[in-house]
Amino acid sequence: MKIILMMRVLQSIKLFVVVIFLASTTYSFANDIPFKNNPKPCLNYKLGYYDFCDTCGCGSSGGSMGFGTGLNNNFFGLRYISQEYRSRDGIFADSPWITENFNTIQAWGNIPVSKRATINVILPYQFHNRQFVDNTEQTINGLGDISILGMYNLLKKTPDSIISIKPEHYIQLGGGVKMPTGKYDSSNNTGSVNPSFQLGNGSWDYILAINYGFNYRNWGVSTLINYTIKTENPKKYHFGNQFNYGVNIFKSYYISDFSLTPIVGIAGEVYETNKEFNLEVANTKGDIFLGKVSLEASYNKYSLGILGMLPISQNLNSGRVELKNRISVYLNVNL
Amino acid sequence: MKKYIVPVLVLLSLVSVSCSSDDDGMSEEKLEGTGEVSLTFDNGFGGNDLVLNTANTANANGEVLTISRFNYIVSNFRLVTKDGEEFTFAKDNSYFIINQEAGEETVELPEIPAGEYTTVKFGIGVDQEKFQQGAEGQGDFLAQAEANNMMWSWQAGYKFLNFEGTFTSETVTEAENFKVHMGSHGSSLDNYKEVSIELPTNIKVSNEMDSNIHLKIDASKILISSTSNIKFSEQAVIMVDEVKSPQIAVNVTEMFTVDHVHNGSGHN
Repeated sequence: MKIILMMRVLQSIKLFVVVIFLASTTYSFANDIPFKNNPKPCLNYKLGYYDFCDTCGCGSSGGSMGFGTGLNNNFFGLRYISQEYRSRDGIFADSPWITENFNTIQAWGNIPVSKRATINVILPYQFHNRQFVDNTEQTINGLGDISILGMYNLLKKTPDSIISIKPEHYIQLGGGVKMPTGKYDSSNNTGSVNPSFQLGNGSWDYILAINYGFNYRNWGVSTLINYTIKTENPKKYHFGNQFNYGVNIFKSYYISDFSLTPIVGIAGEVYETNKEFNLEVANTKGDIFLGKVSLEASYNKYSLGILGMLPISQNLNSGRVELKNRISVYLNVNL
Repeated sequence: MKKYIVPVLVLLSLVSVSCSSDDDGMSEEKLEGTGEVSLTFDNGFGGNDLVLNTANTANANGEVLTISRFNYIVSNFRLVTKDGEEFTFAKDNSYFIINQEAGEETVELPEIPAGEYTTVKFGIGVDQEKFQQGAEGQGDFLAQAEANNMMWSWQAGYKFLNFEGTFTSETVTEAENFKVHMGSHGSSLDNYKEVSIELPTNIKVSNEMDSNIHLKIDASKILISSTSNIKFSEQAVIMVDEVKSPQIAVNVTEMFTVDHVHNGSGHN
C-alpha cells in the first residue's frame, strides 16, 4: 500500500515538473507569437465597442465550476467546456447580437501529494469562434492560461479502516497561480465586439480558494469559494478581480462495480471593473448566477461526467453581454 | 511530509518569480509627447440605432420619423485636463461635418499634448468669429460644407443641422416630408451653441497612446428636449424661423452623451 502510494506521489511530482516546464517555455513565447488569424479590424458593420468580463479566464480555470468535479476526490483526466455567449455589436438598444462560442479542452488533475495536501493543475487548450453580423467568422485557438493550485485539508481524514457513521467533513484551503500562457492579443481589443475574445488574459493572476463539504452515507455536499486577484498584463490591460462560489449536493447509487452520481447545484461569479492604463473601463463589471445539473458515472476507477449550466440571473457588462449556456464533459481516472 | 516538499517548493518559487515579474512598469508612467484624440459620433434615435430611410419608434408626440438625411457641423474642440487646464485645438482645422448618409462619423484631432483629460467641449455649427472672416477665411471648409448640403448661400450662411425625411402621426396618416435646416442665417441670428461633456472615464494621451471618445447621439432630442417640444404635425419645414430655429439650436445641444471612452489604442 505504502509503495503504491509512493509511486503515485512520484508520478504526480513528475507530471508536475513536466507541467511547470511546459508552462515556462510556452510563457516565454505566448506574448510574442504573431497572431495568425488576424482579426479583421473595422468591417462594414456598425462598430460597437465594449469590454467583457474575464470569461476567457473562466474557461481556462473553471470559474464557478470550481477546480474539481464537485465531488471530493482525486483524479486526472480530460475535460471539455463549451460556453455560448451573445454580445451586442453596438451601443444601441436595438444593436444586433453576435454569438460567441468559447471552447476549452483541459488536461486537469487533482493529485494527492500527502494525506492532506493535493495539487490541482488545469492545462487548457482553447478554440473560440464568433460570427459577425456580416457573416464573417473569426476563430482563435491555442494554449490557454495554465493554473496550478495547492490545496490543504485542515481536517484529518478518518482512516479507511474505520467505518464512520458520522458525516465526514473536509475543509480545504489553498492558493495558486494562473499563468499568462494563453495569448492575449490587444488587437482583439480594438475594433472588435468583445475584447475578451482571447486565449488568455495575459497576466499573472493569483487564486485563493476554500472548499468545504461533507459526505454522509451516499450523500454529499460540496461548497467552493475562490477569488482571483488579477494583475495588469504587459499590454496595460487589467481584468477585474473575480469572485466565484458554488454549492453542490449529490448522491451516489452503487450497482456492483458501477456507480452513478447525480449532482445538482448553484454557482455564481462576480466580476469587478476592468482597467486599461490604470483607468476604469466602462461597462465591464458584472455578475451571474447559475443553476447546475450534472451526472457522473463511474466504473472501477474511471469516471465519465456530463454537466450543464444555465443562467438564472445575470447582469454582465450592463446587459450588453449574455451567457446562454455552459456544457461540460469529462473523463477522469480516479486516484 | 518529505513527499510534497518538492512540489511545494516549486510552487512557492513560481509564485515569487511571478510576483517580481509584474513589478516593472507598474509605477505611474509619464505621459510624453503628443497623441491623437478621436471622437466617434454614433447616431441614434431614442436609444435605438439611427438607420436612414427606416421608420423609427414613435416619439412622445406619437410622430413616426423616417429620416433620410442627418448631417451636422461640430467645431471648436477643446479638452480639459484633470488639472483644469483647457487645450484648444487649432481653430482653423476645428470644423467637421458628421454625415450619416456618407458614413462620416469620426472627428480626428491629431497632436494633442500628452496628458489626462476629463472633459471635452465643442460647438455645434460655425461661430460668428469664423463666419466674419469672410468666404476666404473659411478655407476648404466652405467647399466641404457645400458638398455635404450644409450651405444655403454665402450670404445666408451655413446650415448647422440638416435633418430631413418623412413622418406620420395620428393626424397625418399619409407620410409627409419634413425638413429642418438650422443655422445662424448670416449674422442676424446667432444659433451657434457649445456643449461641455464630462467624460465617464478620463482619457490619456501620449506618444504611445491615442484615445477615443465614443459619443451616443440621440436625434429624437431635435424635436423634444427638456426646453421645448416641436411637433411636425404643426410645422414640418423649419428653416429660417425666428422662434423654432433657436429652439432647435438649444435642443441639439442635448443630443450628445458619451457612451464610453477607449484608452490607449485609438479606435481604428
